[in-house]
Amino acid sequence: MPTQPYIKDYKQDISSGRKNYIYLTLVMAITDFRVKYDNSALGYLWSLIKPLLMFGTLYLVFSVFIRWDVENYKLHLLLGIILWNFMAEVTQNSMVLLEGKAPIIKKIYFPRWIIIIASSLTSLLTLFLNIIVFFFFFIFSDPPFSTSALLLGLYLIELYVFSVGVALLLSALYPKFRDIHHIWEVFIQLGFWVTPIIYPISTVPQKYHTLIFCNPMARIIQGSRQAIIGPPGDFTGFTSHVIIISVASVFFLAGLTLFNKLAPSFAEDL
Amino acid sequence: MINIEQVNKVFRLPHDRKTTLRQRFVSIFQKNTYERFYALRDINLNIKQGEFVGVIGKNGSGKSTLLKIMARVLEPTSGRISINANVAPFLELGVGFQGDSTVKDNIFLYGALLGMSRKEIVAKYNWIINFSGLERFVDAKLKNLSSGMQVRLAFSITVIVESPILLVDEVLAVGDIDFQQKCYDSFESFKKKGRTIVFVSHDLGSIERFCDRAILLKEGSVSAEGHPKEVLTTYKND
Repeated sequence: MPTQPYIKDYKQDISSGRKNYIYLTLVMAITDFRVKYDNSALGYLWSLIKPLLMFGTLYLVFSVFIRWDVENYKLHLLLGIILWNFMAEVTQNSMVLLEGKAPIIKKIYFPRWIIIIASSLTSLLTLFLNIIVFFFFFIFSDPPFSTSALLLGLYLIELYVFSVGVALLLSALYPKFRDIHHIWEVFIQLGFWVTPIIYPISTVPQKYHTLIFCNPMARIIQGSRQAIIGPPGDFTGFTSHVIIISVASVFFLAGLTLFNKLAPSFAEDL
Repeated sequence: MINIEQVNKVFRLPHDRKTTLRQRFVSIFQKNTYERFYALRDINLNIKQGEFVGVIGKNGSGKSTLLKIMARVLEPTSGRISINANVAPFLELGVGFQGDSTVKDNIFLYGALLGMSRKEIVAKYNWIINFSGLERFVDAKLKNLSSGMQVRLAFSITVIVESPILLVDEVLAVGDIDFQQKCYDSFESFKKKGRTIVFVSHDLGSIERFCDRAILLKEGSVSAEGHPKEVLTTYKND
């Protein structure tokens, strides 16, 4: 095979192309969102009903059948589910959408990361709607509003960067290794149980805590609970943010690098 | 405008394709065998601004691969390609369309895919609808349109992209006579405006009618190049 390097020299990026990428991302996100809920009677409401149903089931099991001794357990549970679901949705959708967009990828050039960002925007909208529902529950519960709740904004940014990073990493590998979709599905299931979402962290023996909080999702979920619902704890502190942000950035940069490296061959592999 | 130097495109044709980890794992001790298929072999091409170049050749001769490389969809295996302007690809019927969305939504999506801004699309929206003759179907789902209508829509959107280079891959075959005439008219106006067009077709008549230069591909290499009439004769005698 010839080994001569391939030199790219396309001027279109610096001319009219680039400035319209933002618009393309938005249009793609909107059409994906519309298509997703098309032909369903309840439409957009499903994005709210789904996490609430999951919440309802888990709440029934873990608050009525088995009782954890945690104050405001339902708020803890709901917030955990919402944040976890966002990560699960962004990462899983990225692979599905890449597959779905294969006909376009094979025929038209546009930066491939637009697909991933567009899909993450759709999930982001769902996340915001869910957060509103959460605060609705919050108002009707005991805990007083504290200013530390504003930290949620920071946690959401960390969550977004981390999720998109993982999504880029997975979808970069997906065209060559389709298995990754199935592996990831199992991983999400597993992750749901090793992250303190439905059980309070206090039920876990102390010696496992370090291990559990290697997982940035555990830190994000635990931290935002402490910030909004209370009681205040270590996970809202500076060190915790440094850890989350470094892990999230590593995933994001690794994902972006790998994605950009493999994207040119998507048209052949998909 | 388009400069292609020593471009090769090699596809690997595995004897036994492995796309899952299990297959790779099972066959970890077997030798990975594949054939190299040269879709394009040492292509050198220089297309100037305002040229209308026709590409002909038998099925599998590399015409579409060449166009896809120009459109940046495929990366050449080796060689150098430089294009110093925006490219509007029109490689297949209505690719980029979302069947579940309305015609209106699709115009915006496809327009954006071709690099247009919202402003540009809004400004030309009515023109697109008129040109494609789909006034009554604006809110219909795209999948319910006939294939001819979809092609007309796709072509109408591509036509208004003001990119200096247009890549066209065998599209006129589908439209009816009226629409073909519209296409030919727009080709004429592109030529007048000085847009560069690379046109792949099996319709030798239109190659002869529009092109300034024709390129004959055979098994991935350029086997003849020059005035359309002469190249067509070579092609017919082959």
